[in-house]
Amino acid sequence: MAVKFFGQFLIGKSAVTRSELLRAIDLQEKTNLKFGELVVEMGLMNAVDIARVHAAQRTEDLQFGEMAVKLGIISESQAQQVLTRQKNSHLYIGEALVQIGALTKRELDTYLKEFKEDQLAYIVEKIEIPAGLPHKPIWEMVADLTYKMLTRVAGMSFRTGPCSVIDKLPNRPVIAEMGFSGSVSARYVLSVSESTRSLVAKAILDEDSVENEEVEVLDDSVKEFINIVCGNIAAKAAQLGHSIDITPPELRNGASGNLDVPENHTGLMFPIYLSDGEVFELTIFVPEN
Amino acid sequence: MKRVLIVDDSIAVARQLEKIVNSDEGFEVVGQGRNGAEAIKLCQQEKPDILCMDVNMPVMDGLTALRNLMKLTPDLNVVMVTSLGGVGDKFTEALKLGAKDVLSKPFEKDSVLSMLRRL
Repeated sequence: MAVKFFGQFLIGKSAVTRSELLRAIDLQEKTNLKFGELVVEMGLMNAVDIARVHAAQRTEDLQFGEMAVKLGIISESQAQQVLTRQKNSHLYIGEALVQIGALTKRELDTYLKEFKEDQLAYIVEKIEIPAGLPHKPIWEMVADLTYKMLTRVAGMSFRTGPCSVIDKLPNRPVIAEMGFSGSVSARYVLSVSESTRSLVAKAILDEDSVENEEVEVLDDSVKEFINIVCGNIAAKAAQLGHSIDITPPELRNGASGNLDVPENHTGLMFPIYLSDGEVFELTIFVPEN
Repeated sequence: MKRVLIVDDSIAVARQLEKIVNSDEGFEVVGQGRNGAEAIKLCQQEKPDILCMDVNMPVMDGLTALRNLMKLTPDLNVVMVTSLGGVGDKFTEALKLGAKDVLSKPFEKDSVLSMLRRL
């Protein structure tokens, strides 16, 4: 019931052992060269050039190849050649497991098919994001995975409203949030009422009633829910080629806390309507470039 | 009966995991901790067969505790618990440090129990 890494799926199926997977990962790490390693192997750059690129990357957030082009060390077409070679020679974990003899090709095909079926539930559905924002597919995926987790983890039935740009968070008693950093940064915010918090807590704690639970436990359940969602977002983002780290979940005091969207950020709000008339919101604070 | 120690800073996660583990006659939860430092202390006191430990925790994170525990008790069966289980490099890092497996959230009761039975 989670976005998975193929190796993890294979261990779960007892198709490979932990030590076989580690051997395959080791082979992958030796085979799949980084841009900087490949460019040296291809004779396009030397150690001095590499050091220049690394130094420049400390002051400007560009990928290695982009920076090498910007500094005039390689041309755009050379950068493209490196990327193509990197892509064509990439060893996937399944192929690495076949190469070390942990799986046959036929077993790999069977497990890949099962893995795709297992992960079908996490294919991103179309969600409209206002034009002009960077990384639109990521924000679509964030909203879509939130909806999927509300159904699967919290067991909620709901309908969603269109995404809109806001400058202030809706004032709700419980506002839980987490940060994303890495190749994409943002802040994930879920604003809920006390009754929605109870619904989430019932599901997380697997209890029929949470009437006698302390507020700390109820709040902790909402934090844990967004932690699960954001962890799965990071895993899905990794499948899309992005590396995202998440910060631990926190609670913001809804009644007296600052509800303004931070400066130089766009607030994307996705309203979620429950059948009993309750409404709660997912908001993403997206930094403006 | 295998003795299981649960270490997680989230009360909700610890409660959820305890319920799953105790639902199987083959396992018994013998203690709970809230951070990596408590995990090390409780492992020495309780000598569990299996430790289920969160990755992101205050005071001492799970991977630091795992590194220390593997020096003290290299045979301990450690399962790391994380919502980032699906991120390949996080999964690999935990295995390389000596974890037997990684438990992704949200939990599926049958998957959790079958993973614990494999240890």
